[in-house]
Amino acid sequence: MIIKKINSKKGALEMSFSWLFAIIVGMIILVLVIYGVNKGFQGGQVEQSALIGKEISVLLNPLETSFEAGKTSSLSLSSDTRLYNKCDNFGGFGTQYLEVSQKSFGEWVKTDFDITFSNKYIFSDNYVEGKKFYFFSKPFEFPFKVADVIYMTSASDFYCFEEFPEDMGDVEEELTTLNQENIQVGECGEENFITICFEYGSNCDINVNYNSKSVEKQGEEVYFETDALMYAAIFSEKQGYECQTRRLLQRLENLAQIYNEKESFTSSNGGCSFEIGADLNVLKSSAASVQNSGELIQLRNIVEDIKIKNNRAYCALW
Amino acid sequence: MKNQRGQMKIQQMAFMLITVFIFFALIGLFIISFKMTGLREQATNLQEKNTMLLLTKLAESPEFSCGESFRNTKTNCVDLDKIMALKNNINIYQNFWGVNTIEIRKIYPEIEEEILCNAQSYPNCNIIEVYSKEGAEEGIGLSNFVSLCRKNEENGISYDKCELGRIIVGYEIK
Repeated sequence: MIIKKINSKKGALEMSFSWLFAIIVGMIILVLVIYGVNKGFQGGQVEQSALIGKEISVLLNPLETSFEAGKTSSLSLSSDTRLYNKCDNFGGFGTQYLEVSQKSFGEWVKTDFDITFSNKYIFSDNYVEGKKFYFFSKPFEFPFKVADVIYMTSASDFYCFEEFPEDMGDVEEELTTLNQENIQVGECGEENFITICFEYGSNCDINVNYNSKSVEKQGEEVYFETDALMYAAIFSEKQGYECQTRRLLQRLENLAQIYNEKESFTSSNGGCSFEIGADLNVLKSSAASVQNSGELIQLRNIVEDIKIKNNRAYCALW
Repeated sequence: MKNQRGQMKIQQMAFMLITVFIFFALIGLFIISFKMTGLREQATNLQEKNTMLLLTKLAESPEFSCGESFRNTKTNCVDLDKIMALKNNINIYQNFWGVNTIEIRKIYPEIEEEILCNAQSYPNCNIIEVYSKEGAEEGIGLSNFVSLCRKNEENGISYDKCELGRIIVGYEIK
């Protein structure tokens, strides 16, 4: 009507200043609103990531007390989530990073927000995806307790452990009593399981050689000492496994130093005599020189010696 | 006259737009402050819950726990000799537990005066300042009862001596 009126008077595309002003200011307001909504949405994602990270931290604390070992905890989330598991070895203990990414409008929204821990050791694939996640833990003792390591899996990944050899001790019982829904022990059949075999088979996704203490997964091989690291090798990818194992050794080095100094406190005040101090120094320097899991074997004999000496001692150091 | 009325209309519209803009900005600010308050409360609650769980975890962690040093495995038992060794190496543990302070106090048998533990006063002391985060304030403290065990010697015989204590963890309010 207005344009028609203007058209009839002065020609095409001419409009009053008030209309032009309203359109320009309206557009500015619209742009600001879109920018604000976008920023708010990104902030919400970071907030959600931080919240999930803190919840995981709270959930994992009880798992790190040894009397909760062999129990499963789960975390259920309302939308599809990816938990990225990353690690580095800088500083005295290295760092465990968890990054949370959630699906929004069909796309994974990644935030630059990492949840970091120095005192946790989480073994999993590079990322685990789903709405429900399982966590269980086991103490890593080498020869003293170094940490409670945590294994993280998605409820949508099913693991099946097939045919345990006779000399495997209580691993089978341990996994059965764990009662974790995505872990099955025994006959795996044709189902969509990630199959773990202890004697090489053609239909196995992961092969564990308990004699040579090695795990072969996706064509790559890693080595372990103790059952805690065997599970770690099964549930994680090579890069993550090597990094977290190195972090465990960093803590072992520091604990060896503490036990060495404890020896002198206990000797002077408690009247105990020890013969482990020198071995603990060797363990500390040997652990510092281990660069990958293939070199863990270098520690086996010294660890066994220290374990025997501590068990025989009148005053045990740990 | 016509020109003046046009100017009036522009002014009216400008005022109207500014008012609408301010109105939405105020609503936005209100929503943000409301969300921030909720977030801060949630963060504080989670931090408190985390610290409570950390208290139990600390006594069981390899740096603190008695393990099997005192014959049987004990829960909530802190090895005092190990703590003194840890205190000597505490610099490497900066930010390791995510708390501001860790202190252990012997509460029974009671010693009347407060004696800080160091290489000279140990074991005849009752307060061990295990960890203090560099540059951090003390924050809020949460505590838990623990057994404090060490080896002791009397008449040339070594024996296990366990006393009652409290482990106090200070954390920051965010």
